[in-house]
Amino acid sequence: MRFSGIPARWAREWIRRRQGPDRGPVTLRRGRIYILPTGLGTAFGVMLFAMLLGSLNYANNLGLALTFLLAALGLVAMQACHRNLEALIAREAGSEPPFAGQDAVFRIALANPGRTPRRDLEAGNAAQPVSVGAGGETTVALCVPTERRGCLVLDRVEIATRFPYGLFRAWAVLHPGLRCIVYPRPAREAPPPPAVPGAPGSGAVRRGQDDFAGLKDYHPGDPPRHIAWKAYARAGELLVKEFSGDAQAMPIFDLAEAPGPDLETRLAVLTRWIVDAHSRGETFGLRLPGVDLPPRPGEMQRRRCLAALAEFQAPEPVHV
Amino acid sequence: MSDRPGEFRRLAWTMGGLLAALAPHLLHLQGWVTAFVLAIAAWRLVAERRGWRLPGAFLRAVVATGVTAGVFFSYATITGLDGGTALLALMSALKLLETRAPRDHVVLIFIGWFLCLASFLYAQDIATVAWVLPTVWLLAAALLPAARTGVGGPPLAPFRTTGAMLLKAAPIALVLFLFFPRIAGSFWGAPSTERALTGLTEEMSPGDISDLTLNDVVAFRVRFDGPLPAPALRYWRGPVLTEFDGYTWSRGSPYLFRPPVLHLGAPFDYTVTLEPTGQSMLFALDMVESWSPGVAIQAWDYHLRTRQPVNSVLQYQARSHTRYVAGTELSAAVRNRNLQLPQGRNPRTLELADRMRREAPDDRAYLVAVLDMFRQQEFFYTLTPPGLDRDSIDDFLLNTRQGFCGHYASAFAAMMRAAGIPARVVGGYQGGEWNPVGGYLIVRQSHAHAWTEVWLPDSGWTRIDPTAAIAPERIERGIQPELPAADLLGGGLMQDSALWFRARMMWDNVAANWNDWVVRFDRLRQKQLLSNLGFADPDWEATAIALGVGLAIALATLFAWLAFEYRPRQPDPAAACYRRFTSRLARRGMEPDVGEAPRDYAKRVRYLRPDLGTSALAITELYLRLRYLPAPVIGDLRLLRTLVARFNP
Repeated sequence: MRFSGIPARWAREWIRRRQGPDRGPVTLRRGRIYILPTGLGTAFGVMLFAMLLGSLNYANNLGLALTFLLAALGLVAMQACHRNLEALIAREAGSEPPFAGQDAVFRIALANPGRTPRRDLEAGNAAQPVSVGAGGETTVALCVPTERRGCLVLDRVEIATRFPYGLFRAWAVLHPGLRCIVYPRPAREAPPPPAVPGAPGSGAVRRGQDDFAGLKDYHPGDPPRHIAWKAYARAGELLVKEFSGDAQAMPIFDLAEAPGPDLETRLAVLTRWIVDAHSRGETFGLRLPGVDLPPRPGEMQRRRCLAALAEFQAPEPVHV
Repeated sequence: MSDRPGEFRRLAWTMGGLLAALAPHLLHLQGWVTAFVLAIAAWRLVAERRGWRLPGAFLRAVVATGVTAGVFFSYATITGLDGGTALLALMSALKLLETRAPRDHVVLIFIGWFLCLASFLYAQDIATVAWVLPTVWLLAAALLPAARTGVGGPPLAPFRTTGAMLLKAAPIALVLFLFFPRIAGSFWGAPSTERALTGLTEEMSPGDISDLTLNDVVAFRVRFDGPLPAPALRYWRGPVLTEFDGYTWSRGSPYLFRPPVLHLGAPFDYTVTLEPTGQSMLFALDMVESWSPGVAIQAWDYHLRTRQPVNSVLQYQARSHTRYVAGTELSAAVRNRNLQLPQGRNPRTLELADRMRREAPDDRAYLVAVLDMFRQQEFFYTLTPPGLDRDSIDDFLLNTRQGFCGHYASAFAAMMRAAGIPARVVGGYQGGEWNPVGGYLIVRQSHAHAWTEVWLPDSGWTRIDPTAAIAPERIERGIQPELPAADLLGGGLMQDSALWFRARMMWDNVAANWNDWVVRFDRLRQKQLLSNLGFADPDWEATAIALGVGLAIALATLFAWLAFEYRPRQPDPAAACYRRFTSRLARRGMEPDVGEAPRDYAKRVRYLRPDLGTSALAITELYLRLRYLPAPVIGDLRLLRTLVARFNP
């Protein structure tokens, strides 16, 4: 039986009050596992009652024995359902920031410290129930649709199971408060970014990449296509080629230069520029009122810039 | 249908369980019902394989109406046990036609369980249970795929998972069975339809009993409290048949008055466990004096009858005397009824009786003369006599001269009546097989018997058994003088073997105990059990206490069992050792930080407590070797244990 409507909200608030927020890995102890019969379980109960009445009426001992066996099976199933969740350890296992409109993915790892496999665990709205082997760990991905940029907070996750028989549904509620940044949706069509001073036209960037200037140590985030593989083969040391053109052709995308009728449109244009520049392996920077990210290459820079766009003017976080 | 193979598997599970639940009912369901159910099941499986479309709602409604009408016409009702079961079976087949969603599967599984329950209304013997129990298991296993849980893994995994669950459920079910209060009476009336079961009926035509004589099925079992009556006195009295139409003896309309009986000699006390007969007759040792109150009433002919047909195993106690004088007064009306013979039938018998009566000086001499005729002339006792024509007595006495108890009783009673001596036929059982294992008497259908009662002025209704005249060994020792060859083929050699006899008797003892302790486990037995458990005067309160305590014990067992199954994995011994080491340090305020590597931790310990540094580093290195080397070095673990034991910050 799943609550819906107002009782559901009351139940949620009551559970939130008695459990409080969760930080770090959470062991699903007895006190935080709830269990109720499902619709199927209720029907099963009604059937058992009918069988009991029938057997008593006909004074049929074997009928009674059958009824009692099925009732006991229901009891055992209830215990097994509860045990199927108990002592599991849930912890966050990262999230992937999406662009607005895409699904945010929160990952939750479920570890089973016991000797019996846990089966048919449903976490949040994850499509497929998962199993966790004895002593094993399984990661579930929760997909949350997003609409606008900003911060997405996963306030509440239910880990539930109907194993075995689906007569009962046991569930535990986590309040992990997981946060995930939602990047602005990139503009579908955007004018090319304004030319970088000293290198007119977007072609300047291309040409800059052609002028080899020297090698420098590899740092995570450097574009892989710039790695000097030959030097690596010789010396066993990762080096990155530097290009003389880069110094002049490093665009700084500025909100003030992005066209568009309103803020969100201009942020979308900036997002498009950053995504495109990154996919070309360029070095770029970002300037917003109050934010100044100097040009750098690589994935980290892309994330920093997109996060700055997402958080610009601190939009209200979305709680799910 | 995105999940075709899964759907087929689900369907196979559900259908397997359902057909297994239907199987015990095939014995009594009408042929067309069985055929319909099997045909639909087969069609549904093929349709699932081939991806055929299932019939629409309209067609299903038409078929449903059709089969309901069919049940109504062939069973005359749709609510009785037979009709209801047939309807349940047919509806489950129709449900198969629309089985797609989990809910449909669940409905079918529930119907399956109801069919299991219904099969217990038909029979409660061990064989039925031996079939139904795996069926219940199978149906519960089918619930796993139906509820979309526990899927995956080997194909028989649901069966194993469910088996483990049922094993855990068994103690709880046992406690509930033993201590759940049994009530007397019923809520809406037990089924009162008479059912065709093997056994004596309240009519007798030539040849009737011989069908029974070949039937080894147990009719009832008798446990005596004290000595047994002699074999020749073991007459189990059934209904008296007074009306004769020339061919068939029947019971006729009841009399209002039951003549008093004078019981003589020592009484016999005993308990009868009667197998279901589908009729109201009970059997007691002739002549019964008293019996369990409320079970039965005594009819005018001294035989015991229940108000409802006996459709499940019935137990009753009784006290009988084998010596008695019954009905010394005979009213004119009763005398006339017991002299009645059909007009114009069996003329040669009447002639014969007339002649013999005239030759005899008195009634008693005539009676002995008729018995002597059976004994001395060429009469034969056989279980396979030739058929008789419409004037059955004429044909038997003067023509075929071959028959068994029914023929002789019928002929003898007719001869008596023809000579003006009131006489009647009594049906019942004679004899019984002693079970030395269980210490009780088994009366089988093959012990079915018919004898006569003759009214004589000084001794009232007197039992005369003409079969004793022609085949005394039948009465004295219960031996079948002649059995068809087919029956001797398998049994002949085996029956001689003492081992075989003992095995048969042991099995019968199991069946008798099954009846006593499972099928007839009623309030009385429950009280008996409770007083064995130490309750001085078991009442409802004691039952409730026993139920509560029993359930608490069973549930505690279940919790312990599950706690054992779900206990945490044994930690790695090296890890356990290392944890002792860190907890000792933690007590001195040197806890490992979250995410701190063991080596860094050891270095920090050395920095904080230089005196512990060496041993801390050694312990850490040993631990890391034990944990992370592919093949542990022999002796490392012992060394680690020693070091940790000595480590005392």
